[in-house]
Amino acid sequence: MGDLLGLVAKRLGFGLLTLLVISVIIFFMVELLPGDIAQAVLGQGATEENLAALREQMGLNKPAVVRYFEWLGNALTGDFGTSIVTGERVSTIITERFINTLFLAAYAAVIAVPFAVTLGIVVALLRNTLFDRVVNVLTLTSISSPEFFLGYILILYLAVKTGMFPAISSLRPGMTFWELLDRTFLPALTLVLVVTAHMMRMTRAAIINLLASPYIEMARLKGAPPWKVIVRHALPNAWAPIINVIALNLAYLITGVVLVEVVFVYPGIGQALVDAVSKRDFPIVQSCCLIFAATFILLNLAADVAAILTNPRLRHPK
Amino acid sequence: MTKKNQELMNRLAEAARAGSISRRSFMHYSLAAGMTATAATGLWTTKAAAQAKRGGTFRWGIHDGNTSDTHDPGTYLTRVMIFLAHTHRSYLTMINGDGSLGPDLADSWEASVDASEWTFTITSNASFHSGRPVTAHDVVASLNHHRGDATTSAAKALLSDVTDIKADGDHTVVVTLTGGNADFPWLMTDYHLAICPANDDGTIDWKSGDGSGPYKIDAGEFGVQFSLSRHDGWHREGAYFDKVEIITLNDPNARQTALVTGDVDAVSLVELKTMALLQRDPNIVIHNIPSAGAITMPMHCDTAPFDNPDVRNALKLAMNRDEIIEKIAFGAATKGNDFHHSPAQPYWPDDIPQREYDPDQAKSLLKKAGAEGLSVSLSTADSVYAGAVDMAVLYAEHAKAAGIDVKVVREPNDGYYSDVWLVKPFTLVSWGARPTPDVMYTLAYKDNAAWNESRWQNERFNELLLQAKAELDDSLRAEMYREMALLARDDGGTIIPFFNNFVYANRANVGTPENLAASWENDGARAASRWWFTS
Amino acid sequence: MSVFVIIYFACLIASSCLAAYYEKRPTFLTLFSLTLISFVLGIVGGVPALRFVATAAGLLAFAAGISFAFREFIVIIAPANISKEVRTAPLTAAFGMFVIFTYAIAGIFAPWIAPYGESEVIASAFAMPDENMLLGADQLGRDMFSRIIYGARNTVGLALLATLAAFFMGAFAGLLAATKGGWFDQFMGRFADVIMSIPSLIFALLMLSIFGPQVTVIIVAVAIIYAPRVFRLTRAVAGNVVVMDYIEAAKLRGEKTWYLIRKEILPNSTAPLIAEFGLEFCFVFLLVAGLSFLGLGIQPPTADWGSMVRENATMISFGEITPLIPAAAIALLTVAVNFVVDWMLFRSSGLKE
Repeated sequence: MGDLLGLVAKRLGFGLLTLLVISVIIFFMVELLPGDIAQAVLGQGATEENLAALREQMGLNKPAVVRYFEWLGNALTGDFGTSIVTGERVSTIITERFINTLFLAAYAAVIAVPFAVTLGIVVALLRNTLFDRVVNVLTLTSISSPEFFLGYILILYLAVKTGMFPAISSLRPGMTFWELLDRTFLPALTLVLVVTAHMMRMTRAAIINLLASPYIEMARLKGAPPWKVIVRHALPNAWAPIINVIALNLAYLITGVVLVEVVFVYPGIGQALVDAVSKRDFPIVQSCCLIFAATFILLNLAADVAAILTNPRLRHPK
Repeated sequence: MTKKNQELMNRLAEAARAGSISRRSFMHYSLAAGMTATAATGLWTTKAAAQAKRGGTFRWGIHDGNTSDTHDPGTYLTRVMIFLAHTHRSYLTMINGDGSLGPDLADSWEASVDASEWTFTITSNASFHSGRPVTAHDVVASLNHHRGDATTSAAKALLSDVTDIKADGDHTVVVTLTGGNADFPWLMTDYHLAICPANDDGTIDWKSGDGSGPYKIDAGEFGVQFSLSRHDGWHREGAYFDKVEIITLNDPNARQTALVTGDVDAVSLVELKTMALLQRDPNIVIHNIPSAGAITMPMHCDTAPFDNPDVRNALKLAMNRDEIIEKIAFGAATKGNDFHHSPAQPYWPDDIPQREYDPDQAKSLLKKAGAEGLSVSLSTADSVYAGAVDMAVLYAEHAKAAGIDVKVVREPNDGYYSDVWLVKPFTLVSWGARPTPDVMYTLAYKDNAAWNESRWQNERFNELLLQAKAELDDSLRAEMYREMALLARDDGGTIIPFFNNFVYANRANVGTPENLAASWENDGARAASRWWFTS
Repeated sequence: MSVFVIIYFACLIASSCLAAYYEKRPTFLTLFSLTLISFVLGIVGGVPALRFVATAAGLLAFAAGISFAFREFIVIIAPANISKEVRTAPLTAAFGMFVIFTYAIAGIFAPWIAPYGESEVIASAFAMPDENMLLGADQLGRDMFSRIIYGARNTVGLALLATLAAFFMGAFAGLLAATKGGWFDQFMGRFADVIMSIPSLIFALLMLSIFGPQVTVIIVAVAIIYAPRVFRLTRAVAGNVVVMDYIEAAKLRGEKTWYLIRKEILPNSTAPLIAEFGLEFCFVFLLVAGLSFLGLGIQPPTADWGSMVRENATMISFGEITPLIPAAAIALLTVAVNFVVDWMLFRSSGLKE
């Protein structure tokens, strides 16, 4: 167990280093973007003079490196600054949206993960049958349409034609939990369709990969029924790659859903990030990217820990 | 105000009440007496108000909103903020449904003889949502927000002719200009010039979101939505809805389906591609309103090969505007004639021959200029106009027939107006509607204008522009605009393919007045205070 | 009772009997259960439901027929060692190969196959299909069929280049890291973490905004985004191979790093890489389509399936099929590629069934 804690501590340390490097990369990428923030704020109607005035007001006349270290200094004390454009605190802008994003991701994950893993097991059991092929074709088709298009199709059938669910998922304060689930069902379903195929295929592949190993052969010779061979003998050893892919997809559910947010008008963090990029609002871009990166790092760490815990051989290294 | 004008206005009002005057001539004459429009305002809206019912929550889906929007009127940029401003704040004047100029906070206004000094009388029954009455000091502070060296306002250029703004008592504001400007009250409708409560030090308090408009903000999140409720002390007629919800709907499909399923009552923009299909839905009413907004293609007149008027005219002739309107605007546009003056604006000269697609003449012009085998690059971006890139591609196909090779360059949306517009010699640009030809020409065609996008220098044109600006006689003014139009058409450096219509829609149970203002989508952005529920 | 229904059931029952007679158990079970289900379906859904089943079965049979013929075709023309492999391929894999082959032909010979030019305007907007235009016209009146053909060249070409670049970079770095180990391994691992932690769409958005939306930039951006994933996979797979005794032996023989990678490690880690390739390849289309949704993508008037879906996506809400055509083109290729990948995966798993 001590080894595990040591590993977690080490990985967390590396994670912090990774975040630092990302903050440098993002800062300079935003700096490199053509056009500048003053121009983005004032749009077509800007003249040289009021651009200069706005730059002065926003403190953009200091050198980039100085601005980065000022930001870093504050960030290290837990202060992620204020939006350059609106002057609002970054934390107030982001917090609520991030909670919304987490909610949608959790909603989709609760449906998608058990569904995908179960389906993967069933398909591995019935490998190379018609059922296997059909499930394969369906899941592959569902991931090969762009997700905004998938969203449009779901809206057409489940909102416009049948009126079962609302077409847009705008949230209002004071909604009950059931209302919330109803309102966000379509974006959640879209995300489920997007992530299921990947997890399902990995489950199938990981299990099939093990079926030729001697100990599975052994179990089969002992006369265990096929489902038992898979669930009791193959699955425990297949968890590592499956968990890895699940982590990757959970991260995607949080960090990659900009398009779904736009299509369903869901007030998540992705939309805020794209808006901030278009306005060159560095503190917000930076904070969003760091949140995403931290999510990714933590999920990966969790996946690795879970992989070790589920695999006796990894738990007790030689 | 001259006595003669007063009499004219009285007669006009009489005729309008009796219904013996058409909307077009009503608009025409009330423009003539622009500064005295008070007496006639609301005649058309009164007619509508007779049918209007109060009540209900108006859910309004608007395109183009951004998380980083603010309440600062100087940096209003997105549609959502512009529409919100017309809902929760007031302006000095407003554009009526019929296109005439009417009062908002100002009850009346009048000019000195040379139109270089304007006096606005502020209504005495207007109040901010906080309860404080609106006074002349708030107006002065709000206008000064856009002036001075330190201002960050995008409306600075608009007020550059203003030398002094002062309050004369609590209800009179006097504005002094460097020269005569007969259109000055029209300028006061610009969306930046919203009136906010003044602080003691002469600045304004825009952060609180307080205003004196028909609805007050109860709650809101930028880039997402705003909830508003009626401001009971509003100083004008209208505001029939009890509550208004402004929802940002950036995705065209989201707007369309929200309207179809009844999740919203009106939307600010209908995708032209699907306009015809949406029309089949009996629950939806589509409005297709000709506007003064235009697509322009400026060529830098000081840069080869565009420094030759024959080349410029050849490029103008090489465009099949009919096909572009059919395929890009899906018919929802007015054909352009290469002068930036739309039929939706006053003083439009209706007798100038339309320029048609003529590749042969374009070829011979190029031959004359010695520029056969001309090859030019046309820069554009997706964000300029829905279908802007397609339009450039289509134009390139048309120009092939005239032996011109147009290379379409798609520039990034980001930074298009800072790095491409005014910088690259041949670009595609979209202009919002401006209320009068003077405003438009002064902004983008005057020799020393910051946004003289075609770098066009024409002595006669600039001379006429200054004359017309200060001319209070209507017919003389119209004659000058006609001559300017001809100059721009035949010598200018801007191709104008079309003036785009505003195409927006609402559910069938929303009542709308007979005339819808053409200054912005949704009845000049004032749907919340002018529309109502019929059931 | 229509003639169609009678023929339908007659065919089903006859073929079930044939299957039973020749003792093809799985075939018999499938056919006979389909017969039973058809009774229920016929009662619930009527003739249209049965027609749907018949059409689906017909299409399936057609696809199977083509696949079979194509497999035989490859077996005959391919050299002996390949044809031996192909002979064992299931029909789905053969179908996949056939689709890939067709797309490749369409892409390579696009200018000769397409009846009209890529940007040629020949009709009014959204004109219906007729004898000149197989699939009708798009929003500018350009021939949809021609644009799909050109799209095969542009889209598949771009996705292929980007994925290959990602695999080349990722796999090379992964193998090197696994072989060298030590600080190089650590450094590359952290570096990959950094890139993977930045959301891909945002990363691409920033890259394209900075360098402009040219095709080369798109390819490089996509390659950079996907390379770390390939790196991690390669590193993991090669990590297992590196500790094997035969590698130790090769090292003791004094073989160079490059030799180890090429001769010992790479041949033993290809299978998972190929499986990954199948999915990543398809994700590239989607990333490019997503970028064009945000206004950054391939330059017009270049035909690209992702952008073609995007341009007319809203039409789907009115039941118009225009945007479905390029979407189906993407879907078919995705399915095809993954069928082939499945087969390769199955082969490498060593499972014999």
